[in-house]
Amino acid sequence: MDRDRALALLHDMLLGRKFEERCAREYMNGNIAGFLHLYPGEEAVAVGVIHACEASDYIVSTYREHVHALVRGVPAGEVMAELFGKRTGCSRGMGGSMHLFDPERRFMGGYAIVGETYPVAIGLAYGIAMRNLPEAVICFFGDGAVNQGTFHESLNMAALWKLPVLFVCENNQYAIGTEVHRHSAVPEVYKRAAAYRIPTERVDGMDVLAVHKATEHALRQIRAGTGPWLLECLTYRFRGHSMADPGHYRPPVEVKAHQRIDPLELALRELSPIYPTPEQIAAAGPDAILKLRQYCSDQGHLPDEDFRQLEAQVDAEVEAAVRFALESPEPSLEDAWQALLANRRGETLL
Amino acid sequence: MKRPITMPVLSDTMEVGRLVRWLKQPGDRIRKGEVIAEVESDKAVMELEAFDDGWLAGPLAPEGSEIAVKQVIGWIADRPEEAQGESSPVEPAAPEKAAPPPAPAKPAAPQKAPEPAAPETAVSPVVAAALEPRREDDGGITPLARELLAELGLSPDAVSPGPDGVIRAGQVLAAALAPPAPDLRHAPSHRVERPSALRWKVALNMTRTTATPQFRVTTTADLEPLRDFAHDRQWSLTLLLARACALAVAAHPLFNQVWTPKGLARFERIDIGIAMDIGEGLVTPVLRDAGGRPIEELAEDWRILKDKVRRRRLQPQDYEGATFYLSNLGTFPGVRQFDAIVPLGASAILAVSAADASGQAALTVSCDHRVVFGADAARFLDTLVTRLQHPEGLVRS
Amino acid sequence: MAEKIRYWQALNRALDELLAADENVFILGEDVGLYGGSYRVTEGLYAKYGEWRVRDTPISEDSFTGLGVGAALMGLRPVVEIMTINFALLALDAIINLAAKVPFMAGGRLPMGLTIRTPGGVARQLAAQHSQRLEHTLMNVPGLRIVVPSTPQDAYWQLKQAVLSDEPVVVLEHELLYFHEGPLDPAAPPPPPHRAIVRRRGRDLTLVAYSKMALLAQEAAERLGEQGIEAEVVDLRSLSPIDWNTCAASVARTHRLLVVEEDCRFAGAGAEIAAGLTERCFTRLEAAPMRLAGLDIPTPYNGTLEARTIPQVDDIVAAARKLVKEGS
Ligand SMILES: Cc1ncc(C[n+]2csc(CCOP(=O)(O)OP(=O)(O)O)c2C)c(N)n1
Ligand SMILES: [Mg+2]
Repeated sequence: MDRDRALALLHDMLLGRKFEERCAREYMNGNIAGFLHLYPGEEAVAVGVIHACEASDYIVSTYREHVHALVRGVPAGEVMAELFGKRTGCSRGMGGSMHLFDPERRFMGGYAIVGETYPVAIGLAYGIAMRNLPEAVICFFGDGAVNQGTFHESLNMAALWKLPVLFVCENNQYAIGTEVHRHSAVPEVYKRAAAYRIPTERVDGMDVLAVHKATEHALRQIRAGTGPWLLECLTYRFRGHSMADPGHYRPPVEVKAHQRIDPLELALRELSPIYPTPEQIAAAGPDAILKLRQYCSDQGHLPDEDFRQLEAQVDAEVEAAVRFALESPEPSLEDAWQALLANRRGETLL
Repeated sequence: MKRPITMPVLSDTMEVGRLVRWLKQPGDRIRKGEVIAEVESDKAVMELEAFDDGWLAGPLAPEGSEIAVKQVIGWIADRPEEAQGESSPVEPAAPEKAAPPPAPAKPAAPQKAPEPAAPETAVSPVVAAALEPRREDDGGITPLARELLAELGLSPDAVSPGPDGVIRAGQVLAAALAPPAPDLRHAPSHRVERPSALRWKVALNMTRTTATPQFRVTTTADLEPLRDFAHDRQWSLTLLLARACALAVAAHPLFNQVWTPKGLARFERIDIGIAMDIGEGLVTPVLRDAGGRPIEELAEDWRILKDKVRRRRLQPQDYEGATFYLSNLGTFPGVRQFDAIVPLGASAILAVSAADASGQAALTVSCDHRVVFGADAARFLDTLVTRLQHPEGLVRS
Repeated sequence: MAEKIRYWQALNRALDELLAADENVFILGEDVGLYGGSYRVTEGLYAKYGEWRVRDTPISEDSFTGLGVGAALMGLRPVVEIMTINFALLALDAIINLAAKVPFMAGGRLPMGLTIRTPGGVARQLAAQHSQRLEHTLMNVPGLRIVVPSTPQDAYWQLKQAVLSDEPVVVLEHELLYFHEGPLDPAAPPPPPHRAIVRRRGRDLTLVAYSKMALLAQEAAERLGEQGIEAEVVDLRSLSPIDWNTCAASVARTHRLLVVEEDCRFAGAGAEIAAGLTERCFTRLEAAPMRLAGLDIPTPYNGTLEARTIPQVDDIVAAARKLVKEGS
């Protein structure tokens, strides 16, 4: 992978990380409310997959979708404004954290009912297939979502009609507090695809380049008209399920172990031909960003200067997003009615 | 600089948090992201991470205390010196002056409820939706009223509707207690019109007086001296009559009382209500303290009141609460004698007719028999007639 | 003796006692076990009773609710927790086609001691998919009983009564009630499970409400009292069946009915309440019944707008004043 693309990935991962950490802070300050599900730890999945897509492909995601929207190009300000419930938010303050939409960027929404993304995705794919377009649909879902009936129903239809869908499982190994072995008889999600003869691959979801490569490959096949693919990305969320969840059900050693393989660090490692020693990784502090920086300067691939610049740039982006959200107006009830009645297009009903 | 650490919002429903324990002491070095305390939300015990690098500084919220979200629970100082001691001065730039000791647990209003706007005026969307289907101003009879009508054997025609045109139970009961309404079934065809609000009110008030036991006593008086006196001084005859009444009432304080269910109310001032014809009804502007104030002042008041009547600007405080009433039909030469109805709120009213050729005019006082008796009325009239014979005496108070 | 306790703790205590007393009782739902339930209602029970009695399920609402139906057919007393009413939409087949109908279709020869606990209502900025009130959907299903406790005392008893019943009962909890505190007196004899309670006496109008709105109605009634309007507050406690007698007796005295519901107005629970009481009290009414309800709009995420779409105490006061003042 060329250095520019790699840096773009790094930028988006860094943005995803910092954006989410800032969300946590704004939540505690009372600027964001409701349920807030954050993404730290899982950045490699959204970044790797969406960077491998065309702008004409559709994205369907869950309630843990801020970073998917950001990577897709929804301006950070519009995402933050939505979390603040503002009129300038990408869903006009009506949807909030779990319901980001941006039709122009074919970001077809965040859905909060587990198992809803599959039918929506195959619906979009059906339209693409019917019109014979070279597009595809990316359908994100969690490990917990594969036990919903819609998973099987939708996979069956997708395979039956050879619909251009890439199912992407973000297997972070937990459905809220229930570990994958306690909720799934077959914890390897990719194996389930076989039941519908859907080609599949399991990748290291902490390795952005691996995810990117696997996605490119799958999309090539899909566009060739062979039908759906399923990609299982093994990943881990560093935080609790949502802001209200301390995540105490996970042993600290497990969390620590996963934090050692911080995807941000892995991404950076790819920029260097020399693999770091375990001592080097261990020597870095607990903060993933610090670790990265240390590593970069050691290798001279991303000089200290550049990294600091990148970090400063991302910090500024997040800061600007917060400022934009803070300064934006609230929607009115009139806006809410308009959102409800937009599709009526002024038709007289009575 | 010290920056505040606030009780974080840790769940969608959290209003207060309990500070379980501090994991750092004042003066300890803190790094961004480091866990500094444990906080119990309504859902779980959570770790509180520092948002900034620095040194933990007091005053810290006590462990175990319940604190509303967003309230200050401690501080992070930029320099270790600032973190020393509980009472380290708070810099002016600190958002909350004088490092307030953590606020007591008073859940902040979690949601901005619609502004408790001025009652009755601004209507919130949910209330507007509740009111939307309700009909206004188009009459009808409520089910309860209809049932009562049937039970009481009343016709809706006998009931005066409420101000919105609807007949409710209260109106049916009033009609049941009221004297029977005319039966117009065999009358020529007709239209029923709603009278003006003023006439409606007068009618209602007059009906109510039928519960007052009344009697009347009549005398005659020579009004010539009074008329001449009024003419010479350019004062209105009605004004002088009111003044005479007030002085007579002052001499007979029985007349300045009213019967109430709890007993006799004695008034400490004599206010004379004067009936005035305004074409479509009747108003009673009141001369306050008509016995106690200089006549010039009363004359000025009377001028103002008459002007208000003419311009329809009379306010309740101008026409309510008289303690004695006067009705003068002296301007109608044919009226030789009449009597008036004692309004609610007073015990007597004086009716003054036109004088005959010899200058004699009939004066009739109607009285509430619960308050005054026949001989009282006779004595009162006697005093009054004397007063009228000596108009100069009306000027002095 | 009454002690102060939170609503979720009252439910927790009831479940604990039920599990201890009858081994036919078992709990199942998402994250009810190890995690202790998203609203802590099942906290500690997994450790105490083990995984067969307190079962963490996969996210498969229709099937695990259906599992509850199957287990009930053999006389067990499953207590299914559906994390929120919004997800119960995925289990409507199990609830409506199975739980409510199987005993009937079997000619009354099978028991259905199934209890479904699920919270709903508008909480704090959870947006449209997570703020629903679907009582009307369930009220319209013959064969289901629905209780809507508003206090810890009722939560404790109504849940116990539900679990001990051989009919399917849905216990609708409100997400904002779990952390409400109130007295619990387990020794006080409970009223029948579906009987309404007059929470406050008054002569000027009747406020009929349930669940969280019953608490708001009481608050509004106190405020109205200060303004010289005496509102009677009836807490329904149950939506199916509805205790018409208690409601009708109150309306017959006050002649004015204000139904307060968080549910959307159109075809909501309030429509049934208003219609049922109009039929029963028609000749006692001095004004058309009034329904103060949620706006007919999906719940916006924005907090200010969210609050404006459902009745607040101020709105109840304003509506009550309008209703009482009508015609004067
Ligand atoms: C139908 C449904 N049931 C339950 C929930 C509550 N819920 C929200 S997220 C979640 C866990 C989902 O786990 P997973 O699919 O692995 O996604 P993750 O949160 O780990 O990204 C649950 C049970 C829901 N939103 N929808
Ligand atoms: Mg998961």
